[in-house]
Amino acid sequence: MSIIAQDTPGETVLLMGNEAIARGALEAGIKVCAAYPGNPSSEITGSLAGVADEFGLHVEWSVNEKVALEVAAAASFAGLRGLCTMKQNGLNVASDFLLNLNLTGCEGGLVLIVADDPGALSSSNEEDSRAFAKLGDLPLLEPATFQEAKAMTKWAFDLSEDLGLPVLVRTVTRVSHARGNVLLDELPRPTKKPRFDTSRPRIALPVLTNHKLLREKLERAGQVFETSPFNFYRGPEKPELLIITCGSGWMYSLEAVANLDLNERVGILKLGTTWPLPEQMVLNHLSKADHVLFVEEVSPFLENNVKELFAQNCVDLGLKRFSGKATGTLPDIGELNPDIVISTLQDILEVFYEPVSAEYALRAKEISDQLVPERPLGFCAGCPHRATYWAIKNALALDGRDGFVAGDIGCYSLGIGPSGFSQMKTLHAMGSGTGLAGGFGQLNAFGLDQPVIAVSGDSTFYHAVMPALTNASYNKSNLLLLLLDNSATAMTGFQPHPGTGKTASGQDAPILDLEVICKALGAQVEVGDPFDMKATTETILRLLQDVEGVKVLILRRECALVRGRTQKKLFNMEVDQDLCLGERCGCNRLCTRVFKCPGLIWDEIAGRARIDEAICTGCGVCAEICPSLAIRKEVV
Amino acid sequence: MNGGLRALEERVFDRDLCVSCGACVSLCPYLRSWQGRIVKLDECDLAEGRCFNYCPRGKVDLNELHQRLFGGPYKEIEMGMVRSVLMARACDSVWAGRVQNGGVVSALTDLAIKEGVIDAAVLTDREVNLLPRGHIVSGREDIMACTGSIYTSGPTLEALNRGPWTGDERIGIVGLPCMVLALAKMRTSSLEKRTPIDRVDLVIGLFCTWALDYKPFMGFLQKRFGDRTIGKVDITPPPERIMKITAGDELHDIPLDEIRSFIRPGCHVCPDMTSEFSDISVGTVEGEEGWNTVLVRTERGEELVKRAEAKGVIESQPLPGDKLSHLKEASLLKKRRAIDALKDRGELEDGYLTLSRELIQQIQSESKEAP
Repeated sequence: MSIIAQDTPGETVLLMGNEAIARGALEAGIKVCAAYPGNPSSEITGSLAGVADEFGLHVEWSVNEKVALEVAAAASFAGLRGLCTMKQNGLNVASDFLLNLNLTGCEGGLVLIVADDPGALSSSNEEDSRAFAKLGDLPLLEPATFQEAKAMTKWAFDLSEDLGLPVLVRTVTRVSHARGNVLLDELPRPTKKPRFDTSRPRIALPVLTNHKLLREKLERAGQVFETSPFNFYRGPEKPELLIITCGSGWMYSLEAVANLDLNERVGILKLGTTWPLPEQMVLNHLSKADHVLFVEEVSPFLENNVKELFAQNCVDLGLKRFSGKATGTLPDIGELNPDIVISTLQDILEVFYEPVSAEYALRAKEISDQLVPERPLGFCAGCPHRATYWAIKNALALDGRDGFVAGDIGCYSLGIGPSGFSQMKTLHAMGSGTGLAGGFGQLNAFGLDQPVIAVSGDSTFYHAVMPALTNASYNKSNLLLLLLDNSATAMTGFQPHPGTGKTASGQDAPILDLEVICKALGAQVEVGDPFDMKATTETILRLLQDVEGVKVLILRRECALVRGRTQKKLFNMEVDQDLCLGERCGCNRLCTRVFKCPGLIWDEIAGRARIDEAICTGCGVCAEICPSLAIRKEVV
Repeated sequence: MNGGLRALEERVFDRDLCVSCGACVSLCPYLRSWQGRIVKLDECDLAEGRCFNYCPRGKVDLNELHQRLFGGPYKEIEMGMVRSVLMARACDSVWAGRVQNGGVVSALTDLAIKEGVIDAAVLTDREVNLLPRGHIVSGREDIMACTGSIYTSGPTLEALNRGPWTGDERIGIVGLPCMVLALAKMRTSSLEKRTPIDRVDLVIGLFCTWALDYKPFMGFLQKRFGDRTIGKVDITPPPERIMKITAGDELHDIPLDEIRSFIRPGCHVCPDMTSEFSDISVGTVEGEEGWNTVLVRTERGEELVKRAEAKGVIESQPLPGDKLSHLKEASLLKKRRAIDALKDRGELEDGYLTLSRELIQQIQSESKEAP
C-alpha cells in the first residue's frame, strides 16, 4: 500500500516532501488532481495517481499546466476540492488562466502547488514563481518542513474556500525531494455531489467590480495570516540581528544560528504565509531590531515586500539596516545552503567559525576529486536520442550550411552538450524549438540559408508544439520538425501521455496518433527508426534539401529505461579486440571518445574499447559506427 | 609531414585548398565525401594522420618526392620526368565517340587488365546527378561507363581506400594531377597503416588545367538548363577555349569566363598540369582532334605503351616539335601561376608547397604568359 494512503492517524511516518503534500491533499478530501509533470513537482501527482482508485479520485496527467489548472478549477467550480501541481515554468503556461481565475474566484477548495527549482538543477530557468502571487493578488504559502508541507496543503483548501480564491503553495527542491517526519491525520472520504451553480457564473466581467472584490479578499487573507501558526518568531526579545525567512531558508537559518551559537544575539522570524504579508506581525518584529537579514530562495521577494512595508511605516520605525539578496549580502542567484548563511552571519556579526580546519577541507577535496569521476550530463546507454543526434550531426555536417537544432524541453535537451554532440543551439520553453524553427523558416526570404531542425519529444508535442506546428503550416514556413517519440515523458519519470494509451492511474486510453495529428496540422509526415542512423541521416538531408514546406519526421524508439523494464536485450554486444583500432589512425576511439555511449568503455591498458556488460542495453547502434567492424552484435 | 585532421582542417579546408581528390576519405570515420566536398564529421586529435599525410594540399616537397620516386632531384621543371613523348590514339573503333580525344587512356587501361598487368582499375564515373565518384572496374564495359569528363573533380581515390579489395589484386588508377600527387605521397608515406597503394602497379595521369567545384557548377547548369539532361562536356583548345555542352538534344557554347568562378581555389595553387608522378600521362594535342599527347615517365609505363603499340591497341607517331614546345610552355605557365597565386595568398613561404628558391626563380624566368 502507498504510504500516503496509510490510515493510521496519530502515527508519524517518514515522507518525501512531495508525498507530504499529496497526503495533505488527501487529508483535505480532494476529489480531483490534475498536473503536468515537471521536476521537482512530479511525485505529488504521481503518488496521488497511485491511490486514485482507492480514494475514488480523478487524477490526471494533463497535456499542459494551463489545462491542468482548468481541470482542477472545474472541480472547484462544481463545489469539490481540486489540486493542481506543476513546476515553476509550468506556472508561466498556466498564468493566463490563473490571472482570470483570480477574478472569478472559486467554490470548492482549489490549491495550486508550484515546486520551484532554485539552482535550476533540472530546469531551464530558476525563476521564483512567487511573483505570480503578487501579480495575481493571490494568497501564497511556503512550507519550511515536511510536516508543514502536509499541514499547509491541507489548510490551503480551507483557506481557499474561506476566501473563495485559489491558493498558491510554493515549495522548492530541498523541501519537495527531501524526507522527514510527518504526523498523520484523519483521511476523510467526502461524498459531495458536484454541481455548478448557474446562478453564480464564473466570469471575470465586469472586471473592475471583480478586481475590487479580489483586493478585498486579499486584504482579508492578510488578516487571517496575522494569527497563522505557520508564522512564528524564535529568539531574544530585542535581537541584534533579525532574520526574516521562509521555506527552505528557515532550516538553513536555524542551522547557521545554532552552529555559530548566536541564539542570544539573533532572532528568526519564520513566515509561512508570504503573500500578503502578516503586516502587523512583521512591523512588530521590525520595531525590535535595527538590522534585518532576509534568507530566502531565489529572488528577494520577501525582502522587497518587507522593505515596501517598512517604507510605508518608516516614520514610526526609524532607521533600519537591511541585508539580503537585494543588497548583495547573499547571492542573488542559485541555491542557498547553511554554509552560505553561516558565512554571511560571520561577516555581519564578526564571529569566527571553522567547521573543519582549512587543511582538512583541502585534503578532503583532493581525495574526493580523485575518487569521484567527473560525469557530465548525458544520455543513458541505449538511449534513442544519442542515435538521433548522431544522425542530425552528420546530416548537418554533410549539408554544410552551418545548420543547427532549435531545441526544446525534455531528455533530448541534453543535445546542448557532448552527449548530443552539441547540436542544440536554442533552448527555451516547452514548444519553443518548433516556434523558433518556424520563425527561422520565414527568414529564408531574407537570405537566411542555414537549415534549422526543430526537435520535440512526444510529451512536449502534445504540451505546446501543436500550436507552433499549426502556425508553421498556416503561415507557410519552411520547417523540419523531428519528433523524438520515445513513448514516455521520460525526463520527469515516465508519466504516460496522450500517445501512450494509458492514463495517470493506469487505465486504458485512446492513443492520439502523432502521425495523424501532424498530417492534420498540415505537415508532410515520415516515420523512421533512430537506431538506423544511416537512413535517418539520409532522410534528414533529403527533407532539409529537397522538400519545401512543413515536414515532420517521427523518429520512434522506446526509451531505453522503459524498454529495459519490459523487454530483453536486442543484441549481445562484443568488441573484437584484434580488430579494434583503438587510438590508431583510422579510428582514434570514435566509440568511446565521440559517440560516448556509457555502455562502451576504454581499456587504457589494452588500448582497446570494451563493452560494459552491466550497462550495455544491447541496442546494437554502436556496431554501425565502428570503422573496423570490431563492434559485433549477436541477436539474443 | 606531421599533422592530422586538425592540420588538414586548418591548412587545407579552412584555406579552401581542398580539391576533393578523395585521398583522405574512407580511411577513418571522420571524413566523408558529399556532393563534391570533403566533410569533417567529428574532431580527431591525433598528431599524425593519413588524411593530412596523403593530402596533395597538405605538405608537398616536390624535390623530396621526386628523389624518392625517380631517384634524382627535381629539375625537369617543365613537365617533370619524361622518358618519351608521343602522339597516339586508340585503334579499336569501340572507343570512338565515347572518349575525350584519342581514347588512349581507355585503351591502355583495357589492355592492362586484359594482359594481366593489373586486375582492376580505379576510374571515375558519374552518378545520375553527374557527381563524379571513384569506380573500380575490371572489364571493358565498366571502362566504357567511365569515359569522358565534365571538368568537375571528385573523390576518385576514395574508391582505392574503400575497395572492396580481396587483398591480392594488382591495381591501376587513372587520375588528375592532384590525385597522382596524392598517390605519390601515399607511396612514400612513412606511416604504419597503409592503403592498398603497395598494390598499385599502374598510374595513368591526366592533363589538367583546373577543375570545377561540383555544387556551384551544378547550380549554374541547373539555372541555365533546368531539368534537361547534361550529356558530353568539352572544352575547346586555346585560343578559342569554349565549353561545349550537350543539354537535352542541343549543343550549347559557354564562354569560359562564365564558369571561371567555379574553379576550385585549390586548383589555382596547383603547379602540375601533366601529372608528373604518373607512369604515363595523357592529354590532348593542341589543334589535333582525335589524338592524345602521351608522356611516358617510368619503365613500366614504357612497357605498357610498347605492348599496346605491338598489339595494335594504339597507334602512335612523334609529337610535332611545335606542339611539344607549346605543351611545355603551358605546363610551365601553370607552375608560374601557382607560384603567383601562392604569393598572392602569402603562402609561398609557409604554404603547402615546398620549392627551392632556385626552382622558383627558374620557373619565373623561363615561363611565358600565354599569347
